[in-house]
Amino acid sequence: MNTTTTIPVNRDVKAELKRQAAEMRQDFARRGTLVINVLSSPGAGKTSLLEATAKHWGDQRRMAVLVGDLATDRDAQRLAPFCPVEQLTTGGACHLEIPLVQRGLEKLGTDDFEFLFIENVGNLVCPASHDLAEHLRVVLLSVTEGDDKPAKYPKMFRTSDVVIVSKMDLLPHVPFSVEAAIADAHMIQPDMTAFTVCSLTDDGIADWCKYLDEQRQTLLAANTVKKTASQ
Amino acid sequence: MHEASLVRSLLRQVSDLLIAHNGQAVETIRVEMGPLSGVEGPLVEIAFQQLVNDTLCRGASLIIEEVPLSAVCRDCGVEITIERFRFRCTACDSPRVQVTGGDEFHLMDVDIQTKEKTRPTQAAL
Repeated sequence: MNTTTTIPVNRDVKAELKRQAAEMRQDFARRGTLVINVLSSPGAGKTSLLEATAKHWGDQRRMAVLVGDLATDRDAQRLAPFCPVEQLTTGGACHLEIPLVQRGLEKLGTDDFEFLFIENVGNLVCPASHDLAEHLRVVLLSVTEGDDKPAKYPKMFRTSDVVIVSKMDLLPHVPFSVEAAIADAHMIQPDMTAFTVCSLTDDGIADWCKYLDEQRQTLLAANTVKKTASQ
Repeated sequence: MHEASLVRSLLRQVSDLLIAHNGQAVETIRVEMGPLSGVEGPLVEIAFQQLVNDTLCRGASLIIEEVPLSAVCRDCGVEITIERFRFRCTACDSPRVQVTGGDEFHLMDVDIQTKEKTRPTQAAL
């Protein structure tokens, strides 16, 4: 005689992936690697921002990039002259997940980077739901997009730490209000740090790089506190 | 559309529960989602219909419960419901609100058919 039994679960479907991501994040922190997940819609300038960042630092910082793409390795080719880079081809999938990142890390070989950037697939929806073990989530918004984007993609902006308004050189030619876009982002995420950049002319890149240095120092300081506490 | 990969993960977890509880079949899977879950109900439904029959959960039905986006104000402590993604306390207008629900895709519970009264194995806990 069959009977029906209700099994209570009440667990996030992504609980296991989140646990893995949290563990990796701690490992990165212990090794002194600040991990930055870079997100935007297609063509907002993620690769250009990373190119400008790598050029600004030259050999003063050890940075690497894992770059997600649906089909090609064009972004990886663009970045290869400046820093170690590995392509993560998703085969059509709209976002990156932890196992792909782990595979990319293995291919990078060494793990003594000060900064690891994960350039996500261009998409403001799906990648918002996937923790890639990052310490910082950065969303780019170019001035050729609408300044009402934050309110249209609340999950992406709510889960991000930084908003970067990109392609500032085009601002005189488009009806985009930087103030409105940042105010919109702050309505959704009040703690968000905002930058304006033009990667082609290097405008704003020094401030962005200085911020990354500060964030890494904060990460290292937290390590020191933990070590002291455990002694 | 990343719903398919999440539904695949959901079906794997439910299949594991079925095995762990020594069940015969899965009857009902109940999930909960909200405005910041990052998944759309109709897309989850379509992915479920396409994938369910290739798993141990074949024949199961899916019940989706939509929950509001809830939060608690970190300044005045009031519990609020967030409408239209306006992350402000409705009582004191503080922007310091902590989301407490409606931002995850939760597996709530599962009805399974068993031969007799089930006793979960260690693996199910």
